[in-house]
Amino acid sequence: MSEMWPAGYVPVLLARISRPDSPAIDGYLADGGYASWKKVLAGIATGEWTPSKVTDLVKASGLRGRGGAGFPCGLKWTFVPPKEKRGNKPVYLLCNADESEPGTFKDRVLIEKDPHQILEGMMLASFALGVRHAYLYIRGEMVHGAEVLNAAVDEAYAKGLLGKNVQGSGLDLDLTIHRGGGAYICGEETALIESLEGKRGHPRIKPPFPAVSGVWASPTVVNNVETLCCVKHILDRGPDWFRTYGRNEKNTGPKLFCISGHVERPGVYEAPMGIPFLELLALAGGVKGGRKLKAVIPGGSSAPMLTAEEVQSMPLDFDGVAAAKSMLGSAAIIVMDETTDIPKAVANISKFYAHESCGQCTPCREGTPWLNKMLKRVVNGQGKRQDLDLLVQVASQMGNGMTICVFSDAAIAPVLSGIAKFRPEFEACLAKAASPDFALTAPSDVTEKVAGRMAEGIHS
Amino acid sequence: MAKVTVDGNVVEVPNDANALEACRAAGVDVPHFCYHPRFTIVGQCRMCMVEIDGMPKVQASCTVPIRDGMVIRATSEKALAARNATMEFLLINHPLDCPICDQAGECQLQDNAVAGGLPVSRTSEPRRLTPGYDRTEIGPHVIADMTRCIHCTRCIRFCSEIAGTGELSLIERGGHAIVWTHEGRILDNEWSACTADVCPVGALTTKEFRFRKRVWWLDKTSSICPGCEIGCNVSLEHRDQVVHRFLPRVNPEVNDFWLCDHGRFLAESLNGRDFLKPLVPNGTLPSAPGGAGRRETNWGEALGLVHEKLKAAQAGSIVALGSANLSTEENWLLAELFGKTVGSPNVEFEADQGPLRRIPNRKAVGADGGFVKGTVAAPNAKGAEAAGVRKADGASALGKILAGSLVPDVLYVSDAAFSARTADPAFAAKLRKAKFLVVHARVENPLTDVADVVLPVSGMTGKDGSFVNVQGRVQRFDAAFVPPPIVRTDLEVLLHLGRLFGSFETRWTAAHVFGKLAAAVPAYQGLTWEEPAVTGLPPSSSPAAAYDVLRPPRTSVDDTDKLPALAGKA
Ligand SMILES: Cc1cc2nc3c(=O)[nH]c(=O)nc-3n(C[C@H](O)[C@H](O)[C@H](O)COP(=O)(O)O)c2cc1C
Ligand code: SF4
Ligand code: SF4
Repeated sequence: MSEMWPAGYVPVLLARISRPDSPAIDGYLADGGYASWKKVLAGIATGEWTPSKVTDLVKASGLRGRGGAGFPCGLKWTFVPPKEKRGNKPVYLLCNADESEPGTFKDRVLIEKDPHQILEGMMLASFALGVRHAYLYIRGEMVHGAEVLNAAVDEAYAKGLLGKNVQGSGLDLDLTIHRGGGAYICGEETALIESLEGKRGHPRIKPPFPAVSGVWASPTVVNNVETLCCVKHILDRGPDWFRTYGRNEKNTGPKLFCISGHVERPGVYEAPMGIPFLELLALAGGVKGGRKLKAVIPGGSSAPMLTAEEVQSMPLDFDGVAAAKSMLGSAAIIVMDETTDIPKAVANISKFYAHESCGQCTPCREGTPWLNKMLKRVVNGQGKRQDLDLLVQVASQMGNGMTICVFSDAAIAPVLSGIAKFRPEFEACLAKAASPDFALTAPSDVTEKVAGRMAEGIHS
Repeated sequence: MAKVTVDGNVVEVPNDANALEACRAAGVDVPHFCYHPRFTIVGQCRMCMVEIDGMPKVQASCTVPIRDGMVIRATSEKALAARNATMEFLLINHPLDCPICDQAGECQLQDNAVAGGLPVSRTSEPRRLTPGYDRTEIGPHVIADMTRCIHCTRCIRFCSEIAGTGELSLIERGGHAIVWTHEGRILDNEWSACTADVCPVGALTTKEFRFRKRVWWLDKTSSICPGCEIGCNVSLEHRDQVVHRFLPRVNPEVNDFWLCDHGRFLAESLNGRDFLKPLVPNGTLPSAPGGAGRRETNWGEALGLVHEKLKAAQAGSIVALGSANLSTEENWLLAELFGKTVGSPNVEFEADQGPLRRIPNRKAVGADGGFVKGTVAAPNAKGAEAAGVRKADGASALGKILAGSLVPDVLYVSDAAFSARTADPAFAAKLRKAKFLVVHARVENPLTDVADVVLPVSGMTGKDGSFVNVQGRVQRFDAAFVPPPIVRTDLEVLLHLGRLFGSFETRWTAAHVFGKLAAAVPAYQGLTWEEPAVTGLPPSSSPAAAYDVLRPPRTSVDDTDKLPALAGKA
């Protein structure tokens, strides 16, 4: 098996995944695991380790959340109100393992292959935040992952790394694995919280943000699986080491990328933050069959689609992808080659969003199926002249504050970017349509090209 | 209080108001569906979108707490575009079945579409259907039609937050989401029909009112529910002398926005009418049971006979029964006539202890555990007592009649249905022992069957008057329509009878009598027939937007919060 990282690169997050029996605690301990946790616990009494020291290290590392938004992790932790303000309310840590963004499968590898890495990250974050009970919410479909995590939690309790008075430090910490019901929207942090509380996964109105009022109206920090793994490595090796990865101070650390689509070797790759897209593509064996690259979705299906030209010199980090007017999101890179039918791809993605909208907000509940119905018609050759403009207009009235959460913004990104960047392909679909609506339209309304294709379509 | 600018006008609103409430206070009608003043804010319908200075994106105004100095642009281009978008989204799947939908005419979606919707539809996709979830009874009273649901979740929040019973939930997700009962449950709580009230569209309707009347034909009369002593304020809705339904009439001090199912569905019981002319005995007394020995006559003869019998009888052997179903004015006239003029010591009433009735209201005077409660199954027991009619007991005349130890010369029953016991022929037989039995009645029952004289009366629909509820609140109800000719109100009957004694004048109205009563009964001092505390708030145009009546047009929330001082005094 070829390596899943660049030549000469020493993997951090994926370091242990190919060891035999990597999920077991003995191997993890033998590899130096839980050293940081033990070090911190031992330093509590002497005052060597304090919560703010851990938070400061995470802040200094420049770690940004790996769940999608890239929010600075240490800064988020400081939003938890201090004891004087929150009174007797507990603080919760909630690890987001609901990974369901199409194209994303990095957390699953960590969960199934190296669960103790996650747990240690959670323990350290719990210490930093004053958490006494941490939760990990895992996507319902990941049955195996949940089993692995539960076994790992049992092992950690058995080894005295969790529970009452951990390692004689005087600190109590419990950790619970909670299985979701399998809904994409439950990955949105406030829906995650509702679902954890046993309610329907409906995103909440923000503010208040979870850091102020989250699980059971108590301050809650939600972090992605990979983010918390990074915390463990920052405590192991220090923020300076962490910052050696990356293009600049704002985009640091080792990063997992999920490459799928038309590449020779799809999979989870680890590389320094900021690796140029083309390098990563080469690492994955290049475009399948040596064909030409057509489009890339750089951060999961919610990220606007980019053309081959736009990704030529794009570094894969938060700001690099943002500069190309898309987003790194969950670093799920979907590669589409020249054979890809973009309208079909967009229609396919829109089906996902129509299926996964939680249904609270009118524009999202009604808009996502509407977009999907229109796109299906367009790709099935039943489009009408006005459909493209209508698609854009409808999508444009679903985002930008029209809804409670940004799911709706995510749902329209592929539609708007797809039509903006590959409009001729959509127009070709319409041209194929022999619908009377289309045939009757005056050529002045459509381009000459489409008019020509229209005639072809009618006669063929 | 905080100062907020809405479209250039400054209004003062309470600090805990939200931007939607501020707009409404400023008289800017920002349409909305999921907002309801008694439910938690969910911000789901996305109808009340506005622009707020300093916030780059449009905002659902109900979700934004106001702060001093906030500038809201409720009718800016961006705000209107956002609201048009939401209306368009709501309408692409909503069925176009207004012509057969009971909600038409009081539908918030229809109103908003007419007021500000787009003139054309841009969708050509097939509309969503909800097979299996249409026209289905989900409880004893409520019928659900999920194709019409706009997912505002008001009904769900009513059940979970107000009723506390939580029968309803969304099932499924996204565009497939429907509102339904939890598996194995039905929508059956004491106030289940309130879900139909709060539903802005025709997705939830009541079995009882369904297909009865187009709502725009209905006349609305302020009334009081006769179901129990809570005295919920209702809008009595009728057409062509037929009562079709009760809707709650908002009164934050009593029933708030709600009605219990028991009371609500008493509405149609007001429609029966069995007597159109007075009945008097045909021959010898006592008349034969079953009314065989009676004949129809005119008021002159009937009341003349009663007058004669009363004059001939020993005052101590005359018993007059008031009623907790009659107005305080009528009970007071009865007490005046029989107690003072005739001189009988036996003017009393009996009211049934009923099952416990409850109305959710956390703030009302006397509310207990979040409910105003009533245990007397009639609306005016407190009023009858206030009017000087004494409560019957074992030692009183009624008790003695029932025990067989008193056979009165005249028993005058001002309400043939004063107790549920009158439905029992054995009970009626005991009262029949009286030498002369007179009843006021609208519908037949075992007691009218055996009475010597039946005086046909209008019932609540034909008269006005006031009740005193369990909280001691004096509340007025209005006449809905004129009763058929010859039939009189109880008040008129008593006035005519009193005139024969030279005590009353027949031109007195309920308002007149109220004035006399207020002058005579100390607890009523200072209370007038017209004051808002007594009349309550007017009926609203649509049950789903009932809270509009709380808001006088174009004024500040400051004023709207000061509801008419509804504290009763009796
Ligand atoms: C629709 C939607 C789905 C999301 N799904 C996930 C998810 O599956 N996993 C995840 O970690 N974050 C997901 N997020 C992002 C979370 O809301 C949250 O920002 C993240 O978990 C925070 O963790 P981080 O700060 O470590 O990145 C989702 C967000 C949205 C709007
Ligand atoms: S935007 Fe969509 S997914 Fe998000 S809360 Fe609203 S309906 Fe639910
Ligand atoms: S049934 Fe009516 S009240 Fe309930 S969610 Fe639907 S529209 Fe709203």
